[in-house]
Amino acid sequence: MMEQVQKGEITSVKTEYPRIRLMKEMLQRLLENKLAVVGGVFTILLIFLALFPGVVATHSHTEQDYSAVLVPPSAAHWFGTDELGRDLFSRVIYGATTSLKAGLISVGIALGIGLPIGMLSGYFRGVWDEFLIMRITDAMLSFPPLVLALTLVAVFGAGLENAMIAIGLVLTPSFMRLIRGEVLAHREKEYVEAARASGLPSWRILFIHILPNTIAPIIVQATLAIAAAIITEASLSYLGLGTQPPTPSWGSMLSTGQGYLEQAPWLGLFPGLFIFITVLSINLFGDGIRDMFDSKLK
Amino acid sequence: MKSFKGWSLVAFTLTILLIVSGCSDSASGDSTREMGDKSGRGSGNGKDKLVIGLDDDPPQLDPHLSSTAVDRQVLHSLFDKLVDIDEDMNIVPKLAKDWDISDDNQTYTFYLQEGVVFHDGTPFNAEAVKFNFDRMLDPAMGSPRYGEVEQVEQVNVIDELTVEVQLKTPFSPFLGDLTDRAGMMLSPTAVKESGEDFSRHPVGTGPYQFVERELQSHIKVSRFDEYWGEPAIIKDVLYKPYTDENIRLTNLISGDVDMITVVGFKDIKKIEGNSAVKLSAKEGRGFLGLHLNPAKAPFNNKDFREAINIAIDRQAITNVVYHGAALPAVSAFPPASWAHNPSLEVPKGDLTKAKSLLEKSGIKDPSFTIKVKPVETDKQMAEMVQSMLQEIGVTVNVEMQEIGSLLSSAIAGDYEALYLGWDGRTDPDGSVSRFFMSNGYNNYAKVNNPEIDKLLTDARVSLDQEERKKIYQRFSEVVFDEANYIFLVHIDENKAMKTNVNGFIHYPDGMIRPDRIYFD
Repeated sequence: MMEQVQKGEITSVKTEYPRIRLMKEMLQRLLENKLAVVGGVFTILLIFLALFPGVVATHSHTEQDYSAVLVPPSAAHWFGTDELGRDLFSRVIYGATTSLKAGLISVGIALGIGLPIGMLSGYFRGVWDEFLIMRITDAMLSFPPLVLALTLVAVFGAGLENAMIAIGLVLTPSFMRLIRGEVLAHREKEYVEAARASGLPSWRILFIHILPNTIAPIIVQATLAIAAAIITEASLSYLGLGTQPPTPSWGSMLSTGQGYLEQAPWLGLFPGLFIFITVLSINLFGDGIRDMFDSKLK
Repeated sequence: MKSFKGWSLVAFTLTILLIVSGCSDSASGDSTREMGDKSGRGSGNGKDKLVIGLDDDPPQLDPHLSSTAVDRQVLHSLFDKLVDIDEDMNIVPKLAKDWDISDDNQTYTFYLQEGVVFHDGTPFNAEAVKFNFDRMLDPAMGSPRYGEVEQVEQVNVIDELTVEVQLKTPFSPFLGDLTDRAGMMLSPTAVKESGEDFSRHPVGTGPYQFVERELQSHIKVSRFDEYWGEPAIIKDVLYKPYTDENIRLTNLISGDVDMITVVGFKDIKKIEGNSAVKLSAKEGRGFLGLHLNPAKAPFNNKDFREAINIAIDRQAITNVVYHGAALPAVSAFPPASWAHNPSLEVPKGDLTKAKSLLEKSGIKDPSFTIKVKPVETDKQMAEMVQSMLQEIGVTVNVEMQEIGSLLSSAIAGDYEALYLGWDGRTDPDGSVSRFFMSNGYNNYAKVNNPEIDKLLTDARVSLDQEERKKIYQRFSEVVFDEANYIFLVHIDENKAMKTNVNGFIHYPDGMIRPDRIYFD
């Protein structure tokens, strides 16, 4: 957190260099980071799979073939078939949609709630910032994220939609904290003072002047949170509380596969591998973006 | 100086570690030798401890308060019942060595075994039997047994070893109910002393007595030396809970567990192919299927219920979900039961007929939700039904709920379809009345059919099995026709054990009576 709060540096960089040159330099920094490039390529591939699963899938992801149950990987079924004779490759591909949806929507919810509250809280300070909002986030952050998500899903009921809401709420306090800290650092800066002195209304100062200057750490936090959300959705589905059948989800496929580790190892292997690669790629990419914004790294 | 202190601390720790490991080494070495010696003598009794892997930690060891199947696994070694069943489900003597039933089927006279004492030394007699019935019937107890013994009007002590039970109405399933928890006899002394704490130190007359329990870890019982019957062969029995079926099986194959009470269907082939373990399979007496809620659309339409009933291919479910270790079902009674109706044919998934029934029902774009437990087999079954009904244009949603909230939904009638079964009882009545009688304890669907009520009441009054059989056969036809409950499968009763476990008798109730088990 501390590290990200210090990103106030960026603005000073911005005023020293012309905009284009800066962007070129940042892009170059990103491309020099080999791991981030690999992560980025995989992330783009994943987004493609999630948007157009039908293009890649070789079979229907729900059609059951009782004469081909638990068939090992072969030319006909690249990843083998599952316990109900469904093509595992196609299910894993369609599972990307679920995972990406879970990642994006829950982070969207967290940002939607966390961003405005964090900004107002950091800009206006006062009693409800110190004593209400920050204490609530403290309380929420004191729970392990998965436990909190489990509790929320237990209250809302199982299902992908409810799981996404629960994950979004769990992620909210960390965004609130981050954004508040950023705004807190910026509100004392000269450009904000200048804006205030020229009589601009508070909302304009906040959203037109401060927000663009704090966006970098928010993007970094969001990429990391997407990865965390995908893992949490997989965990909830693994526990039977997330995605409901027959919609494929990597977490629930992994959970089924666990029981067949000896008879049919491919059942757990491929969904597990995809969770691993996805989360790793998004994290590497996120790290790359963080470094890209950081002018001190050269 | 400082570094010297540090080194001496390391040396000291190492010395202690050496001593400790040396001790444990010699200890385990000794015990191995001891076992080796014993088996060397050919007694075949090298091990004196049977470890049974349960599917859960039993919540309740008071038979009068127990409401889960896993409790019964432990209770059957601690408590004797008035009567028991044999391998073929015939009722045989236990604590009651004989009994008479009056012609009006309302008075049962039990002649008790002499020389029986409870684990705490209290003699077992007619007074103890009366005490136990009174406890189950006491409304303040709120005993789950109440439904099984509510027909009891009063219990009279005739003499020390003779007791007479008067029923309010004729009730032929009565003896069948006494083969399980309702027939288990608790020590009156222990009950009075420990009250509600009885579950923590249960006292019965069984071949094993309670020693200790550590929650979520183990329950230990030990041979009762003053047992009235043949004493148990193995001295100690340890029950350990393993909720995950994969972990349970792994512990059987490569751990210290000797037997497991619940076997995953997908693991049956694996067990059969492994020489370290063996499988004991028996046709189950229960059923699994779907409760359809006739109070809610679309199941308030009888044609629609019928369409669903015949569209589901039971044989496919049997093969895929239960890996062949089940029989497709059409009624509550499996083919092995005397109450089975052989003229009812198991539907084979007749989609053409289902489609025409669907058309007749007049429902456009039908859809419904099946609620299931978050259990792999239940989920698979639901997904198969989903896929089968898709072919006749019915959309099925699946919702998983953990068992507690699933039962609440069932009781509240808050469901469209719900996958719940029953493990079956000794008397056919125990398998069906609770679900299908208008005042039944588990009549979630609120079935209220005068013909069913009359049939089930008649079957309770009659003592003639042939006559009862005809009644139950008719009952099965009516229930199939009504289709408020769709019978899908009768799953097998499976137990798995290490190859050296012998003497296990597979009772139809699936309960392990460990006293005749030995190692070789």
